Amino acid sequence: MSTALVELQGVTKIYRLGEVEVPALRGVDLSVLPGDFLALMGPSGSGKSTLLHVLGLLDRPTAGRVLWEGADVTRLNGGKLAELRGRRIGFVFQMFNLVPNLTALENVELPLVFLGVPARERRRKAREILERLGLGDRLRHRPNQLSGGQQQRVALARALVTDPALLIADEPTGNLDSATGREILALFVELNGQGRTIVLATHDPEAAAVAKVRLRLRDGRITEVER
Amino acid sequence: MILDILRLSFRNIRHRGLRSWLTVIGILIGTAAVVALISVGQGLQRAIAQRVEQIVGYNTILITARGLNLGQRIRLDIEAIRAIPGVRSAIAVRTETAYVEGPGGKGFLTVLGYDPAMAEFVAEMNLTVASGRDLAAPGEVLLGSRTARVLGADVGDGVSIEGKKFQVVGVLQAQRAGGFATGGLSLSDVLVISLPELRQLFPGPELVHYAVVRLVDRADMALVRERIRDHLRAVGERNAALTDFEDLTRNIQSVIRGVQAFLAGIAGIALLVGGVGVMNTMYTAVLERTREIGVLKAIGAKDSHVLLLFLFESGLMGLAGGALGLASGLGVAWVATLVVSRMFEAQGAFSPALTASLVFGSLFFAFVVGAVSGLFPAIRAAKLPPVEALRYE
Repeated sequence: MSTALVELQGVTKIYRLGEVEVPALRGVDLSVLPGDFLALMGPSGSGKSTLLHVLGLLDRPTAGRVLWEGADVTRLNGGKLAELRGRRIGFVFQMFNLVPNLTALENVELPLVFLGVPARERRRKAREILERLGLGDRLRHRPNQLSGGQQQRVALARALVTDPALLIADEPTGNLDSATGREILALFVELNGQGRTIVLATHDPEAAAVAKVRLRLRDGRITEVER
Repeated sequence: MILDILRLSFRNIRHRGLRSWLTVIGILIGTAAVVALISVGQGLQRAIAQRVEQIVGYNTILITARGLNLGQRIRLDIEAIRAIPGVRSAIAVRTETAYVEGPGGKGFLTVLGYDPAMAEFVAEMNLTVASGRDLAAPGEVLLGSRTARVLGADVGDGVSIEGKKFQVVGVLQAQRAGGFATGGLSLSDVLVISLPELRQLFPGPELVHYAVVRLVDRADMALVRERIRDHLRAVGERNAALTDFEDLTRNIQSVIRGVQAFLAGIAGIALLVGGVGVMNTMYTAVLERTREIGVLKAIGAKDSHVLLLFLFESGLMGLAGGALGLASGLGVAWVATLVVSRMFEAQGAFSPALTASLVFGSLFFAFVVGAVSGLFPAIRAAKLPPVEALRYE
């Protein structure tokens, strides 16, 4: 058995809202292996997003351990986690979340800026990946000059420009019409075919259908695994 | 990478457009006020130093009543002071109140005993006659412009001072302001006769408003001061004080510096308010861009990157306000000195000072005000947990 890319061991996450404690995850065990394509499904409040955030090292568990490529990263400091996110993980969001006053090219360059990659190389990589995603003629456009599908492709390019080991997508088709959504899903399938590990959270059965494994969450627990 | 973050900050500032400008204007006004005051103040200091040197001269001693009080008279014998070794020349300004009768009026008026040597010492003593001519012979008198009206006298008329006849040979040009030369009185309000004649009219102990003593080159200032003190003691004058050029400039400059520091402090409050404006703008920016901060962190930005991003934004706005404020402050200073110079023509023109320390100091200070005001908002942005920031609607 190969080492898991990310492994969660008994991960519990409890949010504190004033006096009330809201458990979002209750003892989740999960291994994401290289080359996996997982879809997290479940109703709102089932803990999908929290699980995604813990997997993406954006959030720390209240209890339990997170292993990244076999190493315990649960207690790593914020700077180290940020660097790990920057180098090894790519994020795609439902709202695209591009920086509004930067062009498509600059948005895609951004993760490389924080990694200290020299400008010339940065630009080359960003251009390359945008061209591969069919946005070669939109490099100088700002987010508000792009359609939803184009924005999500820019966001995908931004997630991929660092050549991450893990691609995490939170409802990537949630704000797209179905035709555009299918295009984005096709890109995910293609990327997974090239060996990219992907975890996505979705409500959309069509989106879940393209994944290799579907996990159903309810009340902070994985209730069903469907291959 | 720092440069890239700086560029991002710049883009964000431009993106906010009007709001950035309003924030910058807050800093601009504060900086302009400080710069204008300091520039004018320094210009004034420089002008006064020159002027004092012109009037008094650096190898000159002024003898007055204590506290540079020109209104209170002191007792001294100017001839004795002239005799002190090391003294090149000396004058004493003496006025007396005399009963004067003219063709059209009479009254108690101030009579100045004039010594041509005075012109060397005091600019105002370069008497300018509007009509007639200067004093040339005994028995002649010059009238101040207002005195001429009071006495109803003009060139060629006769007036009597303490019963002695004098012939009016000239009327002085009207003076806007005066005081220094005559111990508080404008030359417009006096009669001028020669000093020997004043002495004849008022014999007895010599009481003067002040005396000015000029030393020969490379004279021993301390020794001469000591001799003058000896003389004052000998005539029983205890209330006199000696002031030389350095004392005088030191006194005046310290007063100006005090006033300047006070005014600059008030102007500094305006700058502080500008800083509060920056803080407000930056807190709003952090709130508005909470989600963006979350995204930046998700794609690998460290807390320090986010901190720098926001610090640069506030610092750049501070710097922009500083640069524009510097320019407008110098503009204001220039206009202000022009107006002041015109209003007090007699005092001579002066120009605002533009020093390197003023330029770089104000730019640096404005940057610091911006950066410091942005510090707390930036720390808040940097410390935002990424998940919370991403969830923010």
